[in-house]
Amino acid sequence: MKAARFDYVRATTVDVAVDALARGAVALAGGQSLVPLLNARSRRPEVVVDVSRLPLTGVEQDGSTLVLGALTRLRAAETSPVVRRAVPLLAEALTHVGHVSVRNRGTVGGSVAHADPAAELPAVFLALDAVFTARGPGGTREVDARDFFLGPYRTALAPDELLTDIRVPLPPPTARHGLAELSRRPNDLAITAVFTSVTLTDRVVTEARIAVAGAAPTPIRAHAAEELLRGQALTPEVLAGVADAAADATDPVDDVHAPAAYRRDMTAVLTRRALRQAVGG
Amino acid sequence: MTVAGGVIGARVSRAEDVRLLTGRAVFIDDLRPPGVLEAAILRSPHPHARIVRLDTTAAAAHPGVFAVVTGADVKSLVRRPQPLIWRLAPGGPETVAYPLAVDKVLYTGHGLAAVAAVDRATAEDALELIDVEYEPLPAVTTLEQALAPDAPRLHEDWPDNVAGRAVVAQGDVEAAFAGADVVLRETFRFARQWGASLETRGVVATWDPFTSHLDAWVNTQSPHLIRELFAEVLGLSVDKVRVRVPDIGGGFGSKSGFYGDQVVAAVLSRVSGRPVKFLEDRRESFVATVHAREQRIDVEVAARTDGTITGLRGTVHGVLGANFSTVGLSPCWTTAAIMTGPYAIPAVELDVVGVVTNKPPYGAYRGYGLPKANFVHEHVVEALARHLGLDPHEVRRRNFVTEFPYQSPVFVYDSGRYAECLDLCRDAVRRAGWADRVARARAEGAHMGIGYAFHNEVSAFAPSRIVNMSGLDHSGFDEAAVRIDSSGRVTVHTGQTSMGQGIHTALAQVAAHALDVPLDHVTVVSGDTDSAPYTGYGTAASRAAAVGGAAVLNAATRLRAKVLRIAAHVFEASPDDLEISDGVVSVKGVPGRSVTLAAIGDAAYRRPHGVLPDDEEPTLHEREVYDPVNVATAFGCTAVLASVDVETGAVELLGYLIAHDCGTMINPMIVEGQLQGGAAQAIGGALYERLAYDASGEALTRSFAEYLLPTAGVVPPFGINHMETPADHIPGGFKGAGEAGVIGGGAAIAHAVEDALAEFGVRITSLPITPPDLLAAIRAGAER
Repeated sequence: MKAARFDYVRATTVDVAVDALARGAVALAGGQSLVPLLNARSRRPEVVVDVSRLPLTGVEQDGSTLVLGALTRLRAAETSPVVRRAVPLLAEALTHVGHVSVRNRGTVGGSVAHADPAAELPAVFLALDAVFTARGPGGTREVDARDFFLGPYRTALAPDELLTDIRVPLPPPTARHGLAELSRRPNDLAITAVFTSVTLTDRVVTEARIAVAGAAPTPIRAHAAEELLRGQALTPEVLAGVADAAADATDPVDDVHAPAAYRRDMTAVLTRRALRQAVGG
Repeated sequence: MTVAGGVIGARVSRAEDVRLLTGRAVFIDDLRPPGVLEAAILRSPHPHARIVRLDTTAAAAHPGVFAVVTGADVKSLVRRPQPLIWRLAPGGPETVAYPLAVDKVLYTGHGLAAVAAVDRATAEDALELIDVEYEPLPAVTTLEQALAPDAPRLHEDWPDNVAGRAVVAQGDVEAAFAGADVVLRETFRFARQWGASLETRGVVATWDPFTSHLDAWVNTQSPHLIRELFAEVLGLSVDKVRVRVPDIGGGFGSKSGFYGDQVVAAVLSRVSGRPVKFLEDRRESFVATVHAREQRIDVEVAARTDGTITGLRGTVHGVLGANFSTVGLSPCWTTAAIMTGPYAIPAVELDVVGVVTNKPPYGAYRGYGLPKANFVHEHVVEALARHLGLDPHEVRRRNFVTEFPYQSPVFVYDSGRYAECLDLCRDAVRRAGWADRVARARAEGAHMGIGYAFHNEVSAFAPSRIVNMSGLDHSGFDEAAVRIDSSGRVTVHTGQTSMGQGIHTALAQVAAHALDVPLDHVTVVSGDTDSAPYTGYGTAASRAAAVGGAAVLNAATRLRAKVLRIAAHVFEASPDDLEISDGVVSVKGVPGRSVTLAAIGDAAYRRPHGVLPDDEEPTLHEREVYDPVNVATAFGCTAVLASVDVETGAVELLGYLIAHDCGTMINPMIVEGQLQGGAAQAIGGALYERLAYDASGEALTRSFAEYLLPTAGVVPPFGINHMETPADHIPGGFKGAGEAGVIGGGAAIAHAVEDALAEFGVRITSLPITPPDLLAAIRAGAER
């Protein structure tokens, strides 16, 4: 199909972009999700504002925070030595986001704002308590990751707000991460994926983050599972209880690739695997 | 005649590739005749509905729109409904389908109106302005729904949804079962899949309003068939239809039929007075191109305790679409026709029942009915071996056809060395060290296994009179012409279609071999029914290299004789004393006495005086019509190494070995490409591909996000081992190779999965094998 007619505006400044959004435009960044939707006429904006040339790119460490410009290409973030050193879970998760050709064009902010419930980055940012910066007509505001994802393809961004950067508090240097993703083919969207970050002191878990993609209308944190883990050594019994608690946190749906019950079960399997990877066992 | 050595059998690079790989190919969408319009088709959102009202006024008034037609408009401009060329159930009901739906839509995606506009986007804008009122009707999408006593009927003048019955039978089945030591039963299910090409289907139609000529570019595998059917449907004499074929980005059978949208483009051109292009977009290709594979097969097998199979009976249910495709029930009939595969099963009785459902038409896809038949007979062999405590390979050997020619229930197998091919495959597995790998993996707690499947393939589809008797309204011969021009260069004219498989290179090799000229002196021309020789059926049914190649070989061989006669006149020698090497004719054993093909060409066309014998007609041109007396049966064995993640049900393929025999190979590299491409599609069919529908009949797979094709990441490296048993009834000894790769893959993968999961006793009886289904089977096995 061919897209329905729309006007195209290339934003030269963030203010121009926000102004266009306020008049009903949709933002085009890397185009990896929006363009297929336009072509299928699932989205029919009157105006598309191209934000891809705005200077919202780059990755830097600001004290104990990793700051990612929203328009940083996925591939640039993936190959950034700063990301790999500071937040290795994010670097590894990025290798699962589509294929390289998609990552060359797609942007970090685009993936977040698109808010596919099975996407990797929203879950990773949720796991790491990232903060999203949005710019609207009234100025700038910050939204915590836990408040950001509202439903499938729905976020806390107002229609006239543009995501400008993502701030990720650095995990402590002793934190270890684990990631387990199940997809039908390599680099497909996940059926279910689990992302963990764990800090151990003398083999006992002092801090744990577990986020799940593809098993609920939004990425979710398995808070009860995290709580079960804190203060425990990772014995098989603890692992089994944590995995079941993570599965209990899900609210999956059936689709053509897998029934809901399978996604729930896989959450437990993948939680075990991701935690085992994190603690190296 | 068989051939050995020389250009036939050489691993030469494909002449097509430079153009294809440098972007110089011209595909259907590259064709933009002056004034061309682009068409779009309004498609039903309902699986089954009556069209209560259809108003195109606003669409017709939309700026940029040149023509709008409804199903009724198109019906009024054609002479007859869409043709069915293969009738296997004489007297059975036939669907009456026009290019667009007229009163009722019968499946989601069924076209009911079409627009031609300045561009596709404008045409799609106009589609949104067409006002349709539907009265939704209950839909049936599964076999069981369609056969239920109170099922909604798709065709109201039919008594039920049964579209035809046929029987494939041989021997005394009652006696075989009465005297059996063991009887096994099983039911198999195969999901709906389709031959998705990289390039979608398209047509550029130009109707000449003054001469009533139709000039159509179509990316089809069957240009002559399409011309015949255009003429029938549009009420034209055949000379008024020209079909030209551009470069094609993959066919796989799904580009072999005659589609309603081709007629729609012609009608829109007639109505608008402009050339009209219709090109499926990727989304609509899921409903506009034929589907395939979906069947339920119930079989019973009778055997003796030594593993000898004595009888096979059952039913093949073809879960067809709402309307017949060009080939009707034939893919499902073919499943039954070759259900005995490479095995000499003396008593067979298989019913074939076609059932219509509210889904797109069912047609050709690489392998036709064979992958299902193979899955059944290979499952039977493995099940019997398990039941009787025998080695499955011993059961294969015990039942292999060993005497040729062999009359199977339908086809006569011309030749084969099945046991040797099985050994070749097993040797390859041994050399690859798979058994050690499996043992190591199992010792570490992993689940890895090896699976095999043996197949044979009816290829070189012909002969014309016999396929006519089987109900096919088309022929199976091939015409070819070979010319040498005045510079001594060779041109081969063929009706076969180049669609990425390398047929031009293969036919050039045949001609170069027969004429003893350098390969790069040969050009192959095809793709225009105004000038190309006639091909029966088309480039399908693994017949292009075998039947088309034999036609070229015969023509080139006769042309060689003429060249030698002319050279003999020059040398005042006997043709028998001459030889051709690298395009130069010389007297055997007499160095220096030689004449080039260029000199002979010059004499044949421009300066015959003193060179061309008086009784020799000028020009160097020979034509051959070749109609084989029989099909040719290729065969092969596939072995797969797979591992299963028993916590997720995910299957990973680690190794894939094929032993294969397609008679004399023209180009082993092309044969390997065919086998690998087919095997990739077998992997897709075994593990990934399924056109899914929900309970209400809505299509759930509308893009490649839902319909999963095998990607490079899931296709393992292939190892291919050749053997050559020439078809002794076909010049050159060629057999077909185009479909081989897809036939045995599904069964081999299933058996590897079963072997990996031996401790759980998992049995695979349906495809594709998806992780949730396999996990459920593993858990059920663990509980047993």
